Amino acid sequence: MNAEKIRKDFPILSKGVIYLDNACQTLRPVQVIDKINEYYNDYPVCGGRSYHKLSKRVDEEVTNARRIIQKFFNAKKVQEIIFTRNTTEGINLIANSLSLQEGDIVLISDKEHNSNLIPWQILNSKGIKHEIFEFGNIEDFKSKLNSSVKLVSTVQTSNLDGTSQPVEEMIKLAHANGSLVLLDGAQSAPHKPVDVQKLDVDFFSCSGHKMTGPSGTGILYGKYSLLEKLKPFLVGGDTVEETTYEKCKFLPPPEKFEAGLQNYAGIMGLGEAVKYLSKIGMKNIIAHEIELNKRITEKLGNHEKIEIIGGLNAEERGGIFSFNIKNMDPHEVAIILDNSANIAVRSGAHCCHSWFNKHNLKGSVRASLYCYNTEEDVDKFVEEIEKVLLLC
Amino acid sequence: MICILTLVVFGVLAIFSASHRPLAKEAFECVFLRLTLRKCRTGLDTKVKSSIVGRIMGKSPFAAKITYKYFEVFSWVLVILMVASLAYSVYGGYNYSLYGNCYGPEEINAFCIYNALEGETFTELQTKVSGELEKPTADDDPYLGKDDAKVEIIEFGCYSCPYSRQAQSTVNEIVQKYGNQIKLVFRDFPIDTIHSRASLHAEAANCALEQDKFWEYHKKLFTEHELCTSAEENHLEHIVRLAQETGLNMKQFSSCLKERKYKEEVKTDFNDGIKAGVHGTPTFFINGRTIIGPKPIRAFEKIIDEELSK
Ligand SMILES: Cc1ncc(COP(=O)(O)O)c(C=O)c1O
Repeated sequence: MNAEKIRKDFPILSKGVIYLDNACQTLRPVQVIDKINEYYNDYPVCGGRSYHKLSKRVDEEVTNARRIIQKFFNAKKVQEIIFTRNTTEGINLIANSLSLQEGDIVLISDKEHNSNLIPWQILNSKGIKHEIFEFGNIEDFKSKLNSSVKLVSTVQTSNLDGTSQPVEEMIKLAHANGSLVLLDGAQSAPHKPVDVQKLDVDFFSCSGHKMTGPSGTGILYGKYSLLEKLKPFLVGGDTVEETTYEKCKFLPPPEKFEAGLQNYAGIMGLGEAVKYLSKIGMKNIIAHEIELNKRITEKLGNHEKIEIIGGLNAEERGGIFSFNIKNMDPHEVAIILDNSANIAVRSGAHCCHSWFNKHNLKGSVRASLYCYNTEEDVDKFVEEIEKVLLLC
Repeated sequence: MICILTLVVFGVLAIFSASHRPLAKEAFECVFLRLTLRKCRTGLDTKVKSSIVGRIMGKSPFAAKITYKYFEVFSWVLVILMVASLAYSVYGGYNYSLYGNCYGPEEINAFCIYNALEGETFTELQTKVSGELEKPTADDDPYLGKDDAKVEIIEFGCYSCPYSRQAQSTVNEIVQKYGNQIKLVFRDFPIDTIHSRASLHAEAANCALEQDKFWEYHKKLFTEHELCTSAEENHLEHIVRLAQETGLNMKQFSSCLKERKYKEEVKTDFNDGIKAGVHGTPTFFINGRTIIGPKPIRAFEKIIDEELSK
């Protein structure tokens, strides 16, 4: 993998920014931007409803994108790929469609993004409870599994510190317990190979904009047999075969979950993004990120004023270096980096307030890497952090 | 503290630019919270501080460290300076409306920004006076009013300088108002370096004095518009025309002018002015107290009345 060559596809990188906020959103290559423009320039019409040539072209392109994504995740059927707006929408879809009953339990970890916490909190009013196990702790996870646990909904790779859970093992345990598993793949899908069949995961939600796709695009994978049984979440146009004044007949998945006119340009751009990532190779991407993360960790990891979240081992943290500087507000550090050397990092609780509250932390500074980051990027980052360390 | 500064800075910017309004609003909220002894929730203080430190760090890590460490102190100092300068401006504005200068009655002539606002200033000459300043005297120069009046006003003026000309209406009002209570002496201070014919005008006025028509001619010189605007070669023409209008004996006047009879006299005036510290026109000495530039009549009245009541 050649990061220097990849960089050339990202116009904004030539403008001098050191972009280390990839866990929030990645940048987009020209290929994706061109694809979006192609839709708007050449066939900017609705798909699915009309019979003219332009509309057929849209249908083809959407199906093509779905195929690319199916292959990327090694899903059995193309119909198992549902387009959403983001990870959050995918999780909400499952939360609302799964017909959970009073007394049912949803098991989540203690390191979930708000998007995989609040949908379950909301269900509490219907008598559906959510219970918490310690992220990555198999024993704790096992001990929480019981016959009431109908769903395990948990994050594969944490956006907070980049660490991952042994999800394959957890899925096996959950299935043995008779529970379904929904994985929040927002931070795993963009960075490493995900094989949904091999994982045997039931549902998998991720965001296009975190994997070089257009903003506001997402993917929900679900096993076809399960999707068939789910009731739709958002309903309306494009979800039904036909209607009378009293009733309707829903289309099979994925259409029954894709209500209303879709974000065609986004979907096509997302297809192109996934194609782009496939070409680079997900194994290469994670290896590259770990390489760079090791470089940062070697230089900053042992500094007395730096507290890394997620441990010293860069391999466990993938592409994320999340840390605090003693006696400094994380926002302060982020704003200083931005102003001193145009380095973009994220600071705060990264939508995992619950975890930070539990650990009595205000938040952290998070540098998150991607395939286009280089050794120069991380060296500059380290250099600036070293200067910040002298401030207090 | 920094929130207050931010509020003021962005508050002013917000008047002109919509994009600064949200920040001004944020600063206002922040100040409000701080005033009510709560923590600034918006994190504006952190934002401002870190942006500044970040920018400095790009240039000098050491300066950044100092700024980071003593930021609260710096912002306090800046706020105090700001409040002080604000108070000072208000005080200056008050003085200006009263005395025509920023600093109160004692320092009528110090430079004041408000003068510039009103377009008031004086024609300045760069001079260096060595040794002690000498108090100017009336010498043998022409005067209006009473010779032994209690208040003596000595004006150093220049016929061709716009500020001297501008001051004349005020001088006329003063002469009318105070009559024989004052003695108004006019002495020449021609600034030839700026107005090339200044000395010529002064000498011409002295030629009129010789024929006892100084004040009539003086008035014409000050009010004749063309004196300042006409071309060099037409200059003499105007001076002569004004002399004719004044009813001077033209033969005597012409030879007086030609001979430059009063060249030395004018020079003496000028040198006396320099010795007295005059560095621009018009400069007035009212019983030794100076007013520089065409100040509003209030400023003159204040001093004259004080001197009269002594
Ligand atoms: C682990 C994780 N889950 C969910 C989300 C929510 O993603 P989105 O905002 O795209 O729905 C994020 C985004 O930061 C994430 O990192």
